[in-house]
Amino acid sequence: MSTFRRVFSSSVGTKLLIGLTGLAMFVYLILHLIGNALIFAGPDTFNHYSHALISNPLIIPIETGLLLIFLLHVYKTIVNYFSNQSARPTGYAEKKFAGHTSRKSVASSTMIFSGLVLLLFVVIHVKQFKYGAWYLTTTAPSVRDLARLEFEVFRQPLWVAFYALCTIVVGLHLRHGIASGFQSIGFDHPVYTRRLTVTGVVLAIIIGGGLAFIPVWVYFTQ
Amino acid sequence: MALDPKVPGGPLAEKWDRHRFESKLVNPANRRKYTIIIVGTGLAGASAASSLGELGYNVLSFCIQDSPRRAHSIAAQGGINAAKNYQNDGDSIQRLFYDTVKGGDYRSREANVYRLAQVSVNIIDQCVAQGVPFAREYGGLLDNRSFGGAQVSRTFYARGQTGQQLLLGAYQSMMRQVAKGTVVAFPNREMLDLVVINGQARGIVCRNLITGEIERYAAHAVLLCTGGYGTAYYLSTNALNSNVTAAWRAHKRGAFFGNPCYTQIHPTCIPVSGPHQSKLTLMSESLRNDGRVWVPKNPGDKRSPEQIPESQRDYYLERRYPTFGNLVPRDVASRNAKGVCDEGRGVGESGLAVYLDLSDAINRLGVEVIKGRYGNLFDMYAKITGEDPYKVPMRIYPAIHYTMGGLWVDYNLMSTIPGLHVLGEANFSDHGANRLGASALMQGLADGYFVIPYTVTAYLGGTTLPAVTTDHDAFKEAEAAVQQRIDRLLAVGGGKTPRQLHRELGAVLWDDVGMARNDAGLRRALARIPQIREEFWKNVSVPGPKNNLNKNLEYAGRVADHLEFAELLTLDALHRTESCGGHFREESQTPDGEALRKDDEFGYVAAWEFQGVGKAPALHKEPLTFENVKLTQRSYK
Amino acid sequence: MRINLKIWRQSGPDKPGRFVEYTAPDVSPDMSFLEMLDVINEELIVKGEDPIAFDSDCREGICGTCGFLVSGVPHGPEPGTTVCQLHMRHFKDGDRLTLEPWRAKAFPVIKDLVVDRSAFDRIIQAGGYTSVNVGGAQDANAILIPGTLAEKAMDSAACIGCGACVAACKNASAALFTSAKISHLALLPQGQIERRARAIAMVERHDDEGFGSCSNEGECEAVCPKEIPITNIARMNREYFRAMLISRD
Repeated sequence: MSTFRRVFSSSVGTKLLIGLTGLAMFVYLILHLIGNALIFAGPDTFNHYSHALISNPLIIPIETGLLLIFLLHVYKTIVNYFSNQSARPTGYAEKKFAGHTSRKSVASSTMIFSGLVLLLFVVIHVKQFKYGAWYLTTTAPSVRDLARLEFEVFRQPLWVAFYALCTIVVGLHLRHGIASGFQSIGFDHPVYTRRLTVTGVVLAIIIGGGLAFIPVWVYFTQ
Repeated sequence: MALDPKVPGGPLAEKWDRHRFESKLVNPANRRKYTIIIVGTGLAGASAASSLGELGYNVLSFCIQDSPRRAHSIAAQGGINAAKNYQNDGDSIQRLFYDTVKGGDYRSREANVYRLAQVSVNIIDQCVAQGVPFAREYGGLLDNRSFGGAQVSRTFYARGQTGQQLLLGAYQSMMRQVAKGTVVAFPNREMLDLVVINGQARGIVCRNLITGEIERYAAHAVLLCTGGYGTAYYLSTNALNSNVTAAWRAHKRGAFFGNPCYTQIHPTCIPVSGPHQSKLTLMSESLRNDGRVWVPKNPGDKRSPEQIPESQRDYYLERRYPTFGNLVPRDVASRNAKGVCDEGRGVGESGLAVYLDLSDAINRLGVEVIKGRYGNLFDMYAKITGEDPYKVPMRIYPAIHYTMGGLWVDYNLMSTIPGLHVLGEANFSDHGANRLGASALMQGLADGYFVIPYTVTAYLGGTTLPAVTTDHDAFKEAEAAVQQRIDRLLAVGGGKTPRQLHRELGAVLWDDVGMARNDAGLRRALARIPQIREEFWKNVSVPGPKNNLNKNLEYAGRVADHLEFAELLTLDALHRTESCGGHFREESQTPDGEALRKDDEFGYVAAWEFQGVGKAPALHKEPLTFENVKLTQRSYK
Repeated sequence: MRINLKIWRQSGPDKPGRFVEYTAPDVSPDMSFLEMLDVINEELIVKGEDPIAFDSDCREGICGTCGFLVSGVPHGPEPGTTVCQLHMRHFKDGDRLTLEPWRAKAFPVIKDLVVDRSAFDRIIQAGGYTSVNVGGAQDANAILIPGTLAEKAMDSAACIGCGACVAACKNASAALFTSAKISHLALLPQGQIERRARAIAMVERHDDEGFGSCSNEGECEAVCPKEIPITNIARMNREYFRAMLISRD
């Protein structure tokens, strides 16, 4: 096997890839949340921001890159999940959280499931918005009226509930994912690692909560 | 048979160099044609395996543990001595040599001890090169501490886990050789017989502890690195699987046993808590550097320690030994602890304990410094007793810890069976009647890294060794005997467990062949041991399969050997009517109760030759001559 | 006090196993956990039954021989403690405890609570050493190592190789064990020469033995009797990437 393939198929290399792709998507999520939050500034601002994004010539390579990162993350985590399962063919009759210094949590124990929920969610979300109804604004210059689509969707309580739930799952996934990603790529520091773990949890709450807040806000105010 | 220690001629300081020059060599290309069996993977065994593997010999390494890394050397806490004189405080090879001979109460062989002191400096270099994380000073130099009675700081240490780190260093070197193919490791094997062909040690028979199969291995030389026999006493600081079996079986095949009565009682162990006790735990005696030993002045004073005012405490070691104080050698500290407990001044529930109090040091240096020095020992103590030693003084009591006696070896570490070499605690050679603290690790590694590579080479290069395979009749005979013994153990089907019988043996040895021995007690033990042995073979219960992991069967075999060996131990103690080092005969003491040696009468090594179970062994004497030290009666006043 | 136990019994490596109930009727709080099992075994031996096989040797928490799960936690509920140093004063009368062996593909059960941990030896064989033959070492003080660094290396070197980390990990990963040795030698000047080759070889051997990967939950650290932190795993990861991605050899 070539060095390159060897490094990324080993247990440590696999985790590096998962960590790096995960952290990349975490950065993307921060930007996405900021972008989404522009809805609070009114439909026009939001639409112009969205137009600026999609009319940028760099959007194709960036989206392709994002897709590749996403697919790599999904592929590596699923393969890794099965190889980890095979490392313990016979399970325990009784197994408890060890407590003490352990960082094990509901979030960390359900990463593969929260991940699969998010996979489904992303497909639905992209289809619904990126490839959804293409309204145009009535005011010049005429751009895509994404805000209208958003208001239409989030006027339906079932969609609001679905989005709120899924974005909370995003938060859950991040709760373990942020600190774990840094650990996987080899970051450790006597002081900052601890702060990072705490910051990771705070950011997970902000991102998950923020993303969940938007559909709810739309539902109640628009 | 005359015992020839084969000590080379010339001045003491030149003997080893001269011997190495005069010894035969084996051509590097020929070394792989020689197979060497090494039994045991403690410091001596693992270091021998790695150094002989490096030389290119074909090494077969056996251990009873599931990995070579678990040998009991791992539990040594305090440190390792070396005459580096890094502290500029007057140490030298000569001084380490002198201290060791004196500490051993003039019952060791001068030439061996001098060589030990000489190579001690190389050990530290080798271990550091391996990556052993010895304690360092802030600026990067190695740190040392004074240990167990030494007047200089020559002890190197890695927290309270020095044995662990040294063993892991040796184990890792050995694993490197396993990867290279020069060493083949056979874990989970117990050596049950030595195969002697034409008077030469040519192989072993062992039991695969996982499958129960009896296996034969042939070689050109056999190295026993199987540790001491402290578990004969049932309760000791040794690991549960430590045993005398390999040494005893070699003894039955013709290897003489040297000075079995030299046993060391360690003064700072955690006291026994009840009848369920399976082993005792040592607290490194480095604690005595900062700790003060005391008991109440008044017998029967059952107040808790903080309620006993300073004026009613007896710091008996400081009182009796103003120069050495709490740092008197182990045997002196142990006997004094027993003495004050016999006077009814012992503390704790059982009354079999004394206080080791670090509160002065904590007040002087602060909790952090003490934590840095002894943190893991304090944690260990707290775990076992449920008490917080930062607040309450620790309770300690002596326990069997190390055995200076062992198979007799010459200067080349070869036993009376040609080809059978004995290293580390398993041999008798370097510590005389008492071992100094931090010297066991030194001896194990000296033997394995720096002595045996030369002496086993000299043996192989200078000896005619006809080709032998495991089909030889001697292997068949040995295997049949081993098998028969196992079948016999399984067939008894009695009502007592091996542990019960072991505990009975241990009680006899501790009471009558323990810290202080006398004629009547020793004779009592000599009468009692064969009775227990007889009961063992009539009434032991060993259920379970033989072709499978059966720890009780393993254990029963070891107890059976202890029951034979204990008689020799007692007999040796009875015959030596002097006191020396760890062997204290009540009949032989100075007016103020100190050990009294009789150099004219007992200035020799007692090497016993096996004559049959229950038969009196034959005594051979190796006279000890001291040309370089002046014999004095030890005094630590 | 009285302790009820449900213990995994399995007569051999490929034999089926099952839980068997035992009772220790008269347990002293000063007993260690293994001493309690000794007492149960003594009764079994007298009755002519095969005693419960469990590993133990030094019984002072340093040899790394003992270990099984006590009610779902390797080495039991006390942090920083091997099961031989776990005393019964931490339990109460009437407790029901389940004892189960380490379970991992790389640690096949030999009998009852005893497993085969030879995979750890093979990980060390892959590179957990410095290649220095006896005889050629320079003076020990010629290598200056700051005291704080020596302490840090010692933190990693303290691993006893008991396998609790693997047992606790949901992926049966030996990342903590492997990383502790890689860290110990990577921190010290003596380990520099083989630093890269060591990291690669040990990680690959770890994988070949069938251990899983690290999910960064830190269960291993929480059950480790020597409390070796998972920062070692971060360091191993760094060492490995550096070796694989930057190394020229």
